[in-house]
Amino acid sequence: MPHEYDSKVNLHLDINHGLDRVTELVQTRLIESGWRDQVRLACRKAITESGDKHVPSVDDLVTQVTPKARAMVPDAVKRELLHELELILMNVDKAGYSKSF
Amino acid sequence: MSAKGCYHLQVFKEDNTNLDSFKWIHAVFVVADTTRSRETKICNAYCRTCRKRGPFLHACLECVHFGCHKHIREHMKYQKHTISLDLVYGQIHCSCCDDYVYDAEIDEITMENKMRSVTFKKRLFDWTSWDATEDERNQLHHGTKRICITQESTIGLRGLSNMGNTCYMNCIVQALMHTPLLRDYFLTENHKCNGVPGTCLVCEVSKLFQEFYRGARVPLALGELLHLIWIHARHLAGHKQQDAHEFFIATLNILHKHCLDTMPKHNSVIKTEEMKCPCIIDKIFTGRLQSDLVCQKCNGVSTKIDPIWDFSLDLGPMTLGGRQPLSLHECLERFTRPEHLGDKDMILCSNCESYQKTTKQFTMKTLPIVVSIHLKRFQHMVKVDKISTAISFPEMLDMTPFMSRSKKESPFPLDNRYSLFAVVNHVGTSIDSGHYTAYVRQQCDYWYKCDDHVITRANLKEVLESEGYLLFYHKHLLGYE
Repeated sequence: MPHEYDSKVNLHLDINHGLDRVTELVQTRLIESGWRDQVRLACRKAITESGDKHVPSVDDLVTQVTPKARAMVPDAVKRELLHELELILMNVDKAGYSKSF
Repeated sequence: MSAKGCYHLQVFKEDNTNLDSFKWIHAVFVVADTTRSRETKICNAYCRTCRKRGPFLHACLECVHFGCHKHIREHMKYQKHTISLDLVYGQIHCSCCDDYVYDAEIDEITMENKMRSVTFKKRLFDWTSWDATEDERNQLHHGTKRICITQESTIGLRGLSNMGNTCYMNCIVQALMHTPLLRDYFLTENHKCNGVPGTCLVCEVSKLFQEFYRGARVPLALGELLHLIWIHARHLAGHKQQDAHEFFIATLNILHKHCLDTMPKHNSVIKTEEMKCPCIIDKIFTGRLQSDLVCQKCNGVSTKIDPIWDFSLDLGPMTLGGRQPLSLHECLERFTRPEHLGDKDMILCSNCESYQKTTKQFTMKTLPIVVSIHLKRFQHMVKVDKISTAISFPEMLDMTPFMSRSKKESPFPLDNRYSLFAVVNHVGTSIDSGHYTAYVRQQCDYWYKCDDHVITRANLKEVLESEGYLLFYHKHLLGYE
């Protein structure tokens, strides 16, 4: 993140609640598409596979499941996110654009 | 709930300034509701090591430091700090225990912050349980009309009068009425009809569901339903005994047609999903059957995919081997095994462009939510005699072995288990006579035998030992579309 541009984007993200909205949007879409349940299943599988003696910690699970989970993000979600970010960046000079999700 | 965090967190909590700063950090960086705190969050919430906003940003609670998942752990280790806070969901991490910790006191503070927020943030409430207040509990108890369903409840069970050889209809209606997803669809009144009143079979079925789950116990006579079906499927009209399977397929056909006719037209929907019909019948009953023709000369495969509503399975002796199948599994195996087509049926191979001997194999491309199985006990062509061989069928059926193999396998095995929810039986010796009865499952585990207007309690053993003509299986775990 270059510093100068960073602050401009930052300000923009703040005024229009962009950061918040994008986070919530991605969250919602991932749940709707079933991604979260799939990841949950993957975690469960990782825990059962590690056996009774060693119960993996959250961090173990994160390192183990993240690559798989990343690969499973549906293309449609990625596309939508890209589109939203594009929209935000295109309007970076305007103060009050709005788009309802 | 009185979760108490680890020893390290208890020590951390003893200092009141620590708790105050936790409360402040949580309010500003996790909830981030006021303009001021949003500003602070956006300017400061990035990893101090790699200058990125994530993933999984944490704040050290023992000094002023932010780090992404990887770098916060390094910071804690290097600085010998213990307690950090994840800024996405607001969970406390203890690096001595190397895990996230729960603590009732901390939960109370975070709850207070969350509730004070002006905007509702879903991610923060995803993991909170709802403890109903006294007032809310009163509302739940007295504000609504409640029906308590116990083992003795008969709601959803309704006898059907026989109007002269109409048992073939009664047993199918019983099976449809106890199809869980169909019931949910109709009881939530999802069918919006814009057809002419009194002509739509879907509306009639919708009415029937209301009748079934109203709680009344008098047997119903399905005159209007029968009349509608007779109008639209002329070959079933008349007072003779009919084949229940034929009736079932005809009913699905008409329902499907009426669904489409009366649905508001969304051109966009139809355009984008040409293959898939949006009506409830197709959503529940339609699977896709893949047939592969393999040329014996060049091994070229030509694949065709067709919609399928039910599996009609042969019971006669197999041509090779000569043994009759004894279980449903064997029947399905036979249905999906590669079959050599004889010399008479040479097929034009698109690969080597000549007529060649081929093998043909059926597999399931996609499975419907309800798998209906028709055991071909009546063979029209050879003789009218009924095949009364006992075919054993399980309560839980795994369809995985009969699926098409594809190159793009999903990383997790799919759950293709199906549970039995209705069985239609035929008593008698030929298709033109005899009597139909149905076993249906209600409230997950209870079985009932529906013999026209008489409904008696049954058990699973009895159901599995019955002869079986039509078997209805419902997908055990529902996936996403």
